[in-house]
Amino acid sequence: MKNPHTWRYLTVQIILALIGLSIPAQIFHLQHSAEAKAILDAVYRYNGWEETFYPKRGDIYDSAGHLLAGNQTVYEVGVDLTALNALDENARPAQENNIALAAQLYLDMTYNEAIEKMKNPPYPDSTYVVLADNVAEDKALELKDLKEKSLYEPSGHNLNQLGFKAHYQRSYTENSLAANILGRVPPQDKAGHSGVEEKYNSLLAGTPLTVWVPADPILARDLPTPPVGTTLILTFNRDVQAATEEVLDDAINNTGAVSGTIVIMDPKTGEILAMATSPRPNLSDDAHYGDTLSVEHPLNPAISKDYEPGSVFKILTMAAALDKGVVKPDTTYFDNGIILINNIPIRNWNNTVWGLQDMTGCLQHSINTCLAWVATQLGKDDFYNYLQKFGIGHTTGIDLAGETPGQMRLPMLADSGWTPIDLGTNAFGQGLSVTPIQMVMAASAIANDGQMVYPHVLYATVQDGKQKNTSSMIVATPIRAETAHTLNEMLAASLENEASKALVPGYRLAGKTGTAQIAPYATNNATNASFIGWGPLDDPKFLVYVWLEKPQADIWGSTVAAPVFKQVVEKLVVLMGIPPDNIRLQPAGP
Amino acid sequence: MNNISQFVLKYRQASWRVQLQWLALFVLGLVAIALVAFGYLNISTRTTRAGREIQTLKDNILIEQRENADLETQLALQISSQKMAPRAWALGFQPADPASITYVVVPGYTPRKGIDMSVAGAQPAAQVIPPEYTQSLFDWFAEKIQSTASVSEGLP
Repeated sequence: MKNPHTWRYLTVQIILALIGLSIPAQIFHLQHSAEAKAILDAVYRYNGWEETFYPKRGDIYDSAGHLLAGNQTVYEVGVDLTALNALDENARPAQENNIALAAQLYLDMTYNEAIEKMKNPPYPDSTYVVLADNVAEDKALELKDLKEKSLYEPSGHNLNQLGFKAHYQRSYTENSLAANILGRVPPQDKAGHSGVEEKYNSLLAGTPLTVWVPADPILARDLPTPPVGTTLILTFNRDVQAATEEVLDDAINNTGAVSGTIVIMDPKTGEILAMATSPRPNLSDDAHYGDTLSVEHPLNPAISKDYEPGSVFKILTMAAALDKGVVKPDTTYFDNGIILINNIPIRNWNNTVWGLQDMTGCLQHSINTCLAWVATQLGKDDFYNYLQKFGIGHTTGIDLAGETPGQMRLPMLADSGWTPIDLGTNAFGQGLSVTPIQMVMAASAIANDGQMVYPHVLYATVQDGKQKNTSSMIVATPIRAETAHTLNEMLAASLENEASKALVPGYRLAGKTGTAQIAPYATNNATNASFIGWGPLDDPKFLVYVWLEKPQADIWGSTVAAPVFKQVVEKLVVLMGIPPDNIRLQPAGP
Repeated sequence: MNNISQFVLKYRQASWRVQLQWLALFVLGLVAIALVAFGYLNISTRTTRAGREIQTLKDNILIEQRENADLETQLALQISSQKMAPRAWALGFQPADPASITYVVVPGYTPRKGIDMSVAGAQPAAQVIPPEYTQSLFDWFAEKIQSTASVSEGLP
């Protein structure tokens, strides 16, 4: 029997089937329409972005764990030009006005500057323009707070198009302390300039990481975190550095010197314990950073300014002659005030005549003619071979950016311009130039049993919680240990015999003064006054080099530089906890 | 036997019963699809929420790291030598004079070695999301088969 309602069922089924089929058909249509393409393009455009994560720059600590260079949060404040352009012609000027007024109040810029940046972005198709970067956190947060409050402003005045992006900026906690060692990272830069910041930039900066950041939360995943930059621990203690800088500043004030340098090194390890120079810029004051610096006054003259060292250089001449065996401490020299080298006369300072002297006397009275004679006894080949072994004429390789090698003419090089008189003048530190760090490294051989150490400021690196200490390095052994011991005794005796102003009660020290004329010698009375010394003599813990450039109060190293050495040592023995010799050398108790 | 034949015949003669059977099957299919859709939506929602939390946590981590760096720097500024020296002077302290120091010889005393800033048990930064949250069902299945095969072959 045929159901009379079959056609009705059939009709309903067909209608439902058509409705059902229309749904996928519409889906298919929507996905392939022109509008769909535009929507998909927009989705692809906004479904994520490439972002570069800059790791936190590694911290720098002193040898006692005090933070010297850290990081602080600053903000980049910008304007979303896409959102600004989406406004109608009437709304846009009003909105630009709001933003410019806020920028004038919070971002240290004029109203017109802000308007100009919004109207003329760096690129025609820019979607974002930076109004100000490195904005201090408190200012940026105030402005951000104002933006959030303006969302509910009934008048419609708001700062919706302002964007804030936080990032790190280098911060120097000790201002000008050790500025010459640290160098700096300028706020507008991500790379270190000068000093440790430049030398170890790749370690400190780490490796930036560029990743695709999906906007779709379903695609969100654990983004890789770039490892923070390596932390550095330096060899110097900030208290020793501060005390040394204080002594140097006082010395410059008292003597009227143009500038000064004091370098302190551990002669056994090469660790720099302090390196004070002047002038020192304030690393936290970017606006005036370069005010005191110039070609004549570089950031770190201890490594980048060479000069004629004068009589402190005599210790190297004497070390070479003793080591070669051409003189002994009791070898005598009769000084009549003049010596002829290749028929050119060399005289003592102020034409002084010292008569018969042994080698200790030659050092004690700093007799130019005697040391010129010693150099001639040694011969030019041996003399310059020894100087090269001491590293003169080459950079020391200290781990600070900007080192210069100094100048020394060599008879072995035909085009160096060397003349026979150079042998005589070089013997007492004239006619060649060195940097203070070169003198310190060379003298370390005398203080350290003939072994010359590599000067360095990096004590250790810390990465992923693991500390890796720097090992000390012997660069060369230019003289024998016996030679070094002999010369130490001669230098200590010469200080004691002349009752030097460098002597520190309780401690036996070795040292030598230096007073070098600055060219042109005939018309210029200015000098470089210096002193190099180390102690305690039996077990040297420090080697101190003092250089005062053009002192006005007095020109002599013995009167202006030697007392500075004494002041430094008096502070050093306290800060480093070095007891006087009579306590340190007493036999151990039961 | 006769009774059964009659029941089948009667059942077939009542066509609405057959239609009801088809309808029930259709509804069952619909319910199954709805259940799958519900499951899919549920998982999608939770994934989205988790993704949003990851994004928020990631942002928070960066903020915390910056705050830590800020605090370290502020602390260092407070105890910098420029701040500490005047405070020490104000409190009546003075730099020690070598002549005023009394040294005591302590047999067997060894001075402290250099600073050590290593952190015990420190590990490099690792991915925090376990594979369960990132691998597909196929990956998981393949991993299980592989691990089962490894065990059966006596591999470590």
